[in-house]
Amino acid sequence: MSDAAATLTQDRQRLELSALSAPAVIFTVAMIAFPVLYTIWLGFQSFSSTGRQSFAGLANYSKLISDYEFWHGLWVTIALYVLSLVLQLVFGVWLALVLFHAKRLPGIVRSMFISPFMMPPVVAGMMWLVILDPSLGAANYILQSLGLPPSEWLASPTWVIPTVALIDSWQWTPYVALIVLGGLQSLPPSVYEAAQIDGASALKTFQRITLPLLLPTIVTAAILRSVDLLRFFDIIYITTQGGPGNASNTLNIYGFRVGFEFFNIGYASALMLTLTAIVFGAVLAFNRLRGAVAW
Amino acid sequence: MNARMFAARVALPVVAAVAVSAQARAADFEWKKFQGKTVTFLANNNPVALALVTYKADFEKLTGMTLKVDGYQEQQMRQRLVTVMNARSDEVDVFMTLPSREGEQFAAAGWYADLSAMSKNEVATEYDVAGLSQALLKAGTFNGKLTSMPMNIEGPILYYRTDILKRCGVEKPATIKDVEAAAQKIKACDPAITPFVSRGLKPAIAYTFSNMLHNIGGSYMANGKSNLCSAKGKETLDTYSRLLRDYGPPGVVNYSFQQISALYRSGRVAMSFESSNELRTVLDGGERLKDTGLAPFPAGEAGQVPTAIGWGMAVSAHSKQPSPAWYFVQWATSPEIQKRMALQGIAPPRPAVANDPEYRKWIDAEPVRKEWQAALDVLATKGSSEVGYPIVANPESREFIGQAVQDLILKQKSVDQACADADKALDALIAQK
Repeated sequence: MSDAAATLTQDRQRLELSALSAPAVIFTVAMIAFPVLYTIWLGFQSFSSTGRQSFAGLANYSKLISDYEFWHGLWVTIALYVLSLVLQLVFGVWLALVLFHAKRLPGIVRSMFISPFMMPPVVAGMMWLVILDPSLGAANYILQSLGLPPSEWLASPTWVIPTVALIDSWQWTPYVALIVLGGLQSLPPSVYEAAQIDGASALKTFQRITLPLLLPTIVTAAILRSVDLLRFFDIIYITTQGGPGNASNTLNIYGFRVGFEFFNIGYASALMLTLTAIVFGAVLAFNRLRGAVAW
Repeated sequence: MNARMFAARVALPVVAAVAVSAQARAADFEWKKFQGKTVTFLANNNPVALALVTYKADFEKLTGMTLKVDGYQEQQMRQRLVTVMNARSDEVDVFMTLPSREGEQFAAAGWYADLSAMSKNEVATEYDVAGLSQALLKAGTFNGKLTSMPMNIEGPILYYRTDILKRCGVEKPATIKDVEAAAQKIKACDPAITPFVSRGLKPAIAYTFSNMLHNIGGSYMANGKSNLCSAKGKETLDTYSRLLRDYGPPGVVNYSFQQISALYRSGRVAMSFESSNELRTVLDGGERLKDTGLAPFPAGEAGQVPTAIGWGMAVSAHSKQPSPAWYFVQWATSPEIQKRMALQGIAPPRPAVANDPEYRKWIDAEPVRKEWQAALDVLATKGSSEVGYPIVANPESREFIGQAVQDLILKQKSVDQACADADKALDALIAQK
């Protein structure tokens, strides 16, 4: 077969493959693009309480600037994000190190360590709601048994954000640990052997070798958790619905209520698109960081 | 013509003709007219719907139709409804609605089918539209259109522990002031018991708060403006929040009906304002059956103006089969089904069912059920269905009422500041068209 004929055959094969995969590609792109484009369009619409719709231009976005609830929601979102992410990364790395070194740990114990993130967040939220009930819950019973004062947990404007962050960290720290454990298992043993020969202590080995080598993995875990944490919804919705007052009213909860309880779909779309932009920004920043720490 | 002749020649034939005509009308009503159709029912998984769907097979047998039940928790049900209605989809034929909450809004949005004609022309004789609570039918009528048929009647009532009150030397509270005095005594008598609880979760507060506001003599609006900073409005804000702050359980700002019923059932609270609908949950397990007393919501300066609401069944304006949907609504709100639901503890919105011998026998079996029925009778006769502001954006208005109360429970604002902030936000909401 001549070169020209071979090229023709290859082109034909490529064309056939493209034609065969086109429906799936078009379907997938449409499934992603349609909701996004529709939400962008909705963001330029105004809906009255009765559902009447009219073109609003940038009014929904200018309303954001003067809306106290938006800025408060943004603050709550960021506070929850930072607190939860720090807790999950610190304890996730610690748990991964424990699981990595405790090689004799039975499989069932390992499974128990990582089981919380297999639980649906709604179930986790319900469970913690019962545990943290200030009157009937086990948490205050334990505190009081130890001679400590009871807490109002989710009902306290001061403690609600740390409490929600703790619940989320209980659920997702094992997920971070699993990712970091994978990273730990892929580290080159030769580096550790060299450190051992040089007489490096365990702490120095962790500080100077393990942590720098693990950084790309940790950043990957941070990216994955960032996307979820900035969209924080289910646990708050189940446990506090944004309260007490508006102390745990994240942007996502606020947008949901504006859209589905007050029927202002246009403004809710503007809120959600702003949140999407924030999530994108965070992911891009972490991607750059990952590039910087890659080895 | 003597009396016997009159009876034989005129009265008896007339009575017979009326009876035959009624029978003919009943016979004319063909329950199997839409055999083979499928009706989709969007339900809230509350005790009312759960009781109703236990008779699903009976409906299918009677009509030959298939009933598809799409059940969710209340907020998820509304979320689904908003999505379906905004898309003008016909996938829901019948849905549950709270006219006191979303009636104005849904009616203005055109989501309800008009049931006025169907409820007159397409009814079985035994249906008896006039036998339904007129107050609830009125609450479900907007701009002259009947939008839903009542499924139950409910409202906040006082649940109290007879044993604790007796032990602490407290009489059954008859007024709101009595409740506070009783709570004070119980707190001193038994510190392990929570003296009082009511709804403290922001969106849930309006349900019990409205009853207190009306009993004290306040109103949500005056001259088209929000009225929470009126003397009566401030008194209600202060009293409601003080009761919860000083005598309520820790964390009461997250309490809605689930938490209140759980706390009461566990035996750790002496008095509570909660929905009459919660009786079944509160008595579940039987532990509270013998030591619970029930009474209408205690009176204020204006006496008793109880909140009486009911879930309704509406036909979607986008349904492509409103008549089969109406058949389901008619069956579900018929005297027979409402009687069967009443025997499961769902308060009937029909006075005739409340007087049914079988139902009375069930009521008379336990003293607490008698008190429950007595409280329901007060709801049925004196009830007001105003919960939150009587405006299209009623659900949003409840947020601001709840916020003001929570600010006071959490001591974040003074009464003057909390009511002023709420009035400002509510005036803006009232101004929205």
